[in-house]
Amino acid sequence: MPINPMSLGRVSNLARGNLIRSTVTRTQTNLLAVQQQLTTGKRLAVPSDDAGDAAVAASIRKVLEQREAYKANLDAANSQLSEVDSSLSTVTDLLRQSQQVASANVGSDVTSEARSAAAEIVDSIYNQMLSEGNHRLNGTYLFGGDRSTDPPFVEENGGVKWVGSSNLLSNVYDEGTTSQFQADGGEVFGALSSRVQGTADLTPSLALDTRLSDLNGAIGKGIRLGIVRLSDGTTTADVDLRDADTLGDVIDKINDAGIGSITASINPAGTGIDLAAGAADSVTLTDVGGGSAATDLGILTSTTPGAGVAVNGAAVGATVTSLTLLASLKGGAGMDLSGLLISNGNVDTPIDLTGAVTVEDLLNRINTSNANVKAQINATGTGIDILNAVQGAQMRIAENGGTTVADLGVRSFDTDTKVADLNQGKGITLVQGPELHITDSAGVGFDVELGGLETVGDVLDAINTAATTAGAGVTASFASATNGLVLTDTAAGAGTLAAGNLNFSSATKELGIDSPAAGGVITGTDIAPVESTGIFANLIRLRNALRNNDQNEITRASEHIDTDLNRVIRVRGEVGAKVQAFEARTETLADQNVATKAMLSELEDTDFTDAIVRFQTLQTSLQASMQAAGQTLNLSLMDFLS
Amino acid sequence: MSLWGTLNVGKTALMTNQSALQTVGNNIANAGNENYTRQVVRQSAGDPHEIRPGLFVGTGVNIDNIERMVDESVEQRLRAATGDAEGNNATSQWLSRVESVFNELSDQDLSTNMSTFFNSWSDLANKPQDVGTRQVVLQNGENLATQLKSMRSQFDALRTDLNDRIKGYVSQADGLATKIADINTKIANTEGGLGPANTLRDQRDGLLKDLSKLVNFTTGPGDNGMVNVYVGSEPLVMNGVSRGITTQNDVDPDTGDTTQLLVFKNNGGPIPATSGILGGTAKTLETLKDTVHGIDQLAGSLIYELNKIHSSGQGLAGFSSVSSQNLVADADATLSSKDANLDFPPRNGSFVVHVKDKATGAITSTLVQVDLDGTGSETTLNTLAASIDGIGNVSASVSAGRLTVSADSDAVEVSFSQDSSGALASLGIGGFFSGTDARDIAVDAKLKADPRLLAAAKNGQPADNQTAKLIAALQGSPLAGLNNQSLKDAYQAQVNGIAAQVSGAKQDAEAAGVVQETMTAQRDAVSGVSLDEEAISLMRYQRAFQAASRVISATDEMLQQLLNMV
Repeated sequence: MPINPMSLGRVSNLARGNLIRSTVTRTQTNLLAVQQQLTTGKRLAVPSDDAGDAAVAASIRKVLEQREAYKANLDAANSQLSEVDSSLSTVTDLLRQSQQVASANVGSDVTSEARSAAAEIVDSIYNQMLSEGNHRLNGTYLFGGDRSTDPPFVEENGGVKWVGSSNLLSNVYDEGTTSQFQADGGEVFGALSSRVQGTADLTPSLALDTRLSDLNGAIGKGIRLGIVRLSDGTTTADVDLRDADTLGDVIDKINDAGIGSITASINPAGTGIDLAAGAADSVTLTDVGGGSAATDLGILTSTTPGAGVAVNGAAVGATVTSLTLLASLKGGAGMDLSGLLISNGNVDTPIDLTGAVTVEDLLNRINTSNANVKAQINATGTGIDILNAVQGAQMRIAENGGTTVADLGVRSFDTDTKVADLNQGKGITLVQGPELHITDSAGVGFDVELGGLETVGDVLDAINTAATTAGAGVTASFASATNGLVLTDTAAGAGTLAAGNLNFSSATKELGIDSPAAGGVITGTDIAPVESTGIFANLIRLRNALRNNDQNEITRASEHIDTDLNRVIRVRGEVGAKVQAFEARTETLADQNVATKAMLSELEDTDFTDAIVRFQTLQTSLQASMQAAGQTLNLSLMDFLS
Repeated sequence: MSLWGTLNVGKTALMTNQSALQTVGNNIANAGNENYTRQVVRQSAGDPHEIRPGLFVGTGVNIDNIERMVDESVEQRLRAATGDAEGNNATSQWLSRVESVFNELSDQDLSTNMSTFFNSWSDLANKPQDVGTRQVVLQNGENLATQLKSMRSQFDALRTDLNDRIKGYVSQADGLATKIADINTKIANTEGGLGPANTLRDQRDGLLKDLSKLVNFTTGPGDNGMVNVYVGSEPLVMNGVSRGITTQNDVDPDTGDTTQLLVFKNNGGPIPATSGILGGTAKTLETLKDTVHGIDQLAGSLIYELNKIHSSGQGLAGFSSVSSQNLVADADATLSSKDANLDFPPRNGSFVVHVKDKATGAITSTLVQVDLDGTGSETTLNTLAASIDGIGNVSASVSAGRLTVSADSDAVEVSFSQDSSGALASLGIGGFFSGTDARDIAVDAKLKADPRLLAAAKNGQPADNQTAKLIAALQGSPLAGLNNQSLKDAYQAQVNGIAAQVSGAKQDAEAAGVVQETMTAQRDAVSGVSLDEEAISLMRYQRAFQAASRVISATDEMLQQLLNMV
């Protein structure tokens, strides 16, 4: 409370009255403030009560409010992942049950009737598994990824089709801590094991309208826009590329700078930017102010390559996006649009790409066809993957009369296919001695030894070499359209081209060339379909094996289920660890909140001891002021005059 | 020297002491009058009479003058102190009202509502497919928009109130200035160079004191006892003439908000008021203007930045038809130009239009360039409409400065993504909020009608949550429109700024109050009436009067005695 610094020569009645009035007013104002603190329990009623403390309190409140979001996210994640954990526990139990059924039904003492009965048990397990795959919590399908609005597993063509997504949702649980709160249904149920990864590098050629956001950048960090400094050795200019959106914008801005005769353009290969230089131009181009645009665009030139020497920029890594033109794929070579022939679950679906312009058109044609496959751009943006969405169904991708499949690198069976991968991973059964005997139409025959061959191409080479050695008129090749080996008779004899097994092998069947020759040609069948393996496929396999009384198949299915079980246990472990981490974070958050709220209380809440003492002091002060006023104001010399 | 002379001495003493008693009485009568200056009778002995060479005798007493006990420098300093105290009080009181609009530190303040709103986006990221959570987001958005609007209208009301008060104070100040000029003339006429007209001067000092409460000024001597009044270096009253004070409307070109400016009546020149109630309120008006600007900027950035993210996201359903909310003044003008007159001009970039076949789920995407790089042909609203119209199954048209994008049939729906130009947000297509600042911010009517249109996804999948996450993260992201502060930080800085100003004004007011009290005490020490002093004077003059009467009666007796001798 300020005290008037007064040193007065005389005291007038007004001065006395004014002094008392101001003292009482001030004391009462202060008393009211303390009274308010006591009645509300708040030291800060409005920020101006203590602007400094209020600012700190506001920032603490901000932290607490942000933590409320983290808390809500943690609760939601905990509840969802706990449900996933319980669902995975059921999946584990079901898989164990199916294993028990399998092991109980292997052995000569089990009758086919018993196996048929067991098949029904497996069928029931399968149904429960399907229901678990489509487990819902609060309207969300737990294993649907970012397509959790619809059931992720749908029965189709005798198999189970995966229509969920492996894009898992994530959220923020603390400053800079983002974590996924879903489990990948594809991984849990093995739905994605059937991907045909495109082997062709489809990297498109650059165009002026290529968006910078679609480039990986020369050093793989995208294009971080900034200002670059361009010089021809005598003139220097800063070129602001910050509002460039396309490669064309970058080139225009460099050219508009008009430095010497330096001209930017897309290089002839369509992979990067070239800076052409006039005879006198010693080009340098650097980043300014800590930017990295020149680096990312592959045209960083700190030291000039010399007068008149052009700068050939590095490749900027154009990626395939849904908007990429098919004609620009493969460095501008484009692709054939004859289409694909996709066979899935014994349904052949020709997909014609005529008229398709963009990658999105291509994906739409495939994904909206009846092939039940899912085509997507791969994670690195360099090619197309096609996956068989139906577990238990076999997928084959062949040419539709052109070279589309080869161009995309998505042929399911070709000369590069490993022999070991043929026939659903069973490969070719090798025997002692040659496995195959082929006779041409002229009756010249030869044996082929298949041991030690790695790829289908090697098999073809082995047949052709043996034919040549034997002087037989037989050529082995890979079918251009349908997937399969082709044996062509060139002897033009009276007989018929024939392929047979030796030493009790099953080579002709296993190579798909067990059909008779037609017109001097044996056209092989596709013996390398892509089968979507996974829990559903394996349960179907076990059920069918039990129904068919096939002991070997029961054992094989049981082995696969074991793999599934291990995978589910691993995923469950991961989910459990995540739940624990979330719970730990929830506890930490609660502890942090206690500490933070204490800090807030220190700032905002009334210190009652202090406030009550002040209240008492002020009250005493007010009383003293009033008593003093009563005494002094009443005193007058007039009272003593008679 | 005769007995008559002695009688005369008694007479002067009687008259002088009678006048002195009257003055004491007047002082006592005005003991409670704050504007009164105590008066003291200055007496001097009468010119001596030479009764014989070299021998002089007194001739009684005369009144030299009745002096006003005033210290002009103290009066000046008191007026300055009064101006400071009143000015700071006004600033503190009005700013407290500004501060109370923010209502910070409560559980219903804007910062809490902002957190609640953004936290609901974060929660939507947990359940992106949930329509109920979307409703919560929309409701919280509505609450936030309503609160911003309400704050804006409260500030408007405060400004109107302040303007009205200023007009009232200005009319008071004008009246006072006129009265001072009038009284100046009266003083000049009354005194006529003969002596001070104490009561008129007291009246004038009272008026000056009242004026000092309203506006800061200094005084200087005028002609014939008049005073001149200066506000800063500008004269307000010159001798018997007042220039007059009035207000003039000042319209903010951005917002159209009107504030009152203080000007001289005679020539409209600005009045440099820095203290007094008018100085304090003028200062508050400036702060209020900045505050409103800050709130508008905050709301504008919230609308634009959130819409920028939202318009590139997708909801559970696409649009069958969508129109831009913001008007383009000239559909043939470059979109980023002044002629287009968009509040948030777009930049060079592009966006993608997706057309989804509802039956097959197939999506056809088309890149739409927004060419605003300053070279070649630039994108206008009409060319943009033409580009979109060229996309299969989509129609786009411009009508009265608004762009409408529609699906050609019910079989398809339209959505947007990857807008690097900000054009969609700047036109107001697919945004979350409509409006441009705190006056008209509202949740988009289309979203309210169909919460499925609320965009949580970024990749087109129905249960994707990337847009929701991006929006949740917006509350802490630095924004170019807010000098690289986040929404919450910018708002908090504003609240802290006002709090610091209020707190500063309160302290200044308190300090100025102490100075004012000190100066008042000093003034009272010089000019105030002390009843004790006056009681003593009363006795003194009474006794002097009694003694003088005795002189007369003694002289009378002496005369009688002489006469009896005859």
